[in-house]
Amino acid sequence: MAEPAYTVASDSETTGEEKSSPAFPEIAIGIDIGTSQCSVAIWNGSQVELLKNTRNQKLMRSYVTFKDEVPSGGVSNQLSHEHEMLTGAAIFNMKRLIGRVDTDPVVHASKSLPFLVQTLDIGVRPFIAALVNNVWRSTTPEEVLAIFLVELRVMAEVQLKRPIRNVVLSIPVSFSRFQLTRIERACAMAGLHVLRLMPEPTAVALLYAQQQQQMVHDTMGSGSEKIAVIFNMGAGYCDVAVTVTGGGVSQIKALAGSAIGGEDLLQNLMRHLLPNWEKLFSSRGINEINSMGLLRVATQDAIHKLSSQDSVQIDVDLGNGSRICKVVNRQEFEEVNHKVFEKCESLIIQCLNDAKVDADDLTDVIVVGGCSYIPKIRNLVKSICKRELYKGMNPLEAAVCGAALEGAVASGISDPFGSLDLLTIQATPLGIGIRANGNRFVPIIPRNTTMPARKELIFTTVNDNQTDVLIVVYEGDAEKAEENHLLGYFKIMGIPPAPKGVPEIKVCMDIDASNVLRVLAGVMLPGSQQPVVPIMEVRMPTVDDGHGWCAEALHRTYGATLDLVTVQQKI
Amino acid sequence: MASTSSAFATFGSSAAGFMGSKVSVKDTTSMPTRVQFRPLRVSAACSSTAERTVSHIASPSSLYEVLGIQMGATCQEIKAAYRRLARVLHPDVSANGQNNATAHEFIKVHEAYSTLSDPEKRADYDRTLLFRTRRSFAMSASAASMASSAASGFSGYTRRSWETDQCW
Repeated sequence: MAEPAYTVASDSETTGEEKSSPAFPEIAIGIDIGTSQCSVAIWNGSQVELLKNTRNQKLMRSYVTFKDEVPSGGVSNQLSHEHEMLTGAAIFNMKRLIGRVDTDPVVHASKSLPFLVQTLDIGVRPFIAALVNNVWRSTTPEEVLAIFLVELRVMAEVQLKRPIRNVVLSIPVSFSRFQLTRIERACAMAGLHVLRLMPEPTAVALLYAQQQQQMVHDTMGSGSEKIAVIFNMGAGYCDVAVTVTGGGVSQIKALAGSAIGGEDLLQNLMRHLLPNWEKLFSSRGINEINSMGLLRVATQDAIHKLSSQDSVQIDVDLGNGSRICKVVNRQEFEEVNHKVFEKCESLIIQCLNDAKVDADDLTDVIVVGGCSYIPKIRNLVKSICKRELYKGMNPLEAAVCGAALEGAVASGISDPFGSLDLLTIQATPLGIGIRANGNRFVPIIPRNTTMPARKELIFTTVNDNQTDVLIVVYEGDAEKAEENHLLGYFKIMGIPPAPKGVPEIKVCMDIDASNVLRVLAGVMLPGSQQPVVPIMEVRMPTVDDGHGWCAEALHRTYGATLDLVTVQQKI
Repeated sequence: MASTSSAFATFGSSAAGFMGSKVSVKDTTSMPTRVQFRPLRVSAACSSTAERTVSHIASPSSLYEVLGIQMGATCQEIKAAYRRLARVLHPDVSANGQNNATAHEFIKVHEAYSTLSDPEKRADYDRTLLFRTRRSFAMSASAASMASSAASGFSGYTRRSWETDQCW
């Protein structure tokens, strides 16, 4: 039956309520939306198969062009030249922009892209626009992603000859829950129902678990297991996971991630070639955009070549009378980007520490993603993990294959040969907690807690006769509350007057099987087992766009009058 | 429609958990491959704040029972038992619609596993288990409500995982 017109679903439909609803009759497809490229795969009954577009491509550029009346994306559109993407008419790098506010450094780094990213630095969503016939036409990352997803959906529907509704998407580890809601919103706009959002390295971990299971015919009765590090770096994000695999069960021990990727390598090298390029192009006339595009293409090309050769000759005429003619060697490239590489190293080390795994315990080291071709990346992973790299995976297809496997497993498909006898036990990529003890972030569910999870902590008032407290929920790992992602806030009212430190405010956080976060808070008085006011139950995140200034506004309005402190645990 | 009812189920169970962990033990009886829990005797969980892992699971029965293994089980056996139970109880694999019930089961199994798979935590736990049987605690429900005193009496093994601030 034909699907009705694609519409934007309501809030409640996009926040995952139905994720656990029963019995999907169809196999969900797996989609890997990369910052630069994306792909779609499905379990075809015996193995994972990548779908191809009409031009026989398995990997498609992630962009949407607003050139004509109808926007067209990289799935169907044919670029006559790489440079066409850089005229200002195309929006790309959606994944770096989605769900971020205009004070975010990643948004600021995106201001040097050919299309318009405007910031006011007040914590609202950035203004994004494409250049169409000399007019900056506004759009949003969600809209761009939705247009792109519709194209992917049509492509899959044509090939599979059936309507597609359910999808498993791979997402970066460092995405906040607010960003996840934006991804779900974009999917809803495209008429897709998100079955799971999987951190990218955990999708790779699932593929690894399947490969290991097939290889050794390991029965789950045996306790033998393999420990692997997965390092995944694409154009926009760098993610690391430590997984323990045995008998088709992939337990995620630790996750670490950051918004660094090939885009940063590219921008750093562009800055190296033309030190003040951002300033030169800031006026953003047609000519400047063209020059910037030419420089970008040349730099990109040079980086690709430096993966296989020691030095590269860059010779590019910027069209504005200036010409860049320079030989760049690999060492220079690595020096220019040493901070990015250092960050990669620290993510791996942090992830191993969090997993309490020593490099000597590792069975395999898997490096995937577009940046996995860069020698420096391969070397740094090898030297930290003291292992040669795993060879059994296509670096550009591993994540989407994992997502497709999860799609089949989550759709309840079974395989006679046991190839889908798989399970991923996920962990929380970021800590979740509340603001307390002054302006500190107190995690209630720490990072890398196995999901589903439920934890609680007791707080108390800071003022005598304090009748209200403010629960401000954050996600992240920074010590200062405001350096984390705000998820929402609510007030508990009607606490009976009592000296400070007496009322017990119990805050409980629950992440259920569908990754829905609920925050519960109640007040107890000593000697009573019953809450004195009804318990508050709030599904998070509750914040909307423009949440960047909420925390500050709350602080300005209430100061410390509604504050909380942790209660020292009684032993 | 279906979502509404599941939301209510969560609310019910979450509210139950809220009244003190002694209530939350009730729904554990349906768990397969494991003997039925004894009624709760000690409410160490009442004192649990930061480190819920250790104290919470102390209440229903022995962690070994949660995993369905012998007390002297090897590390391999613990891991195998955990994986076997995960394959049944993890909400992703269990029958659709029952997710909220199995989520709680899985959390308990995982807590048992995370204690027993860590040699140090396991040694600590084994000591308290011995201590508990020797003293044969048979606290009544009313005594259990004296949360702090009851807990301070015996839960010396409850390790704090972070420094909480004093009230000031």
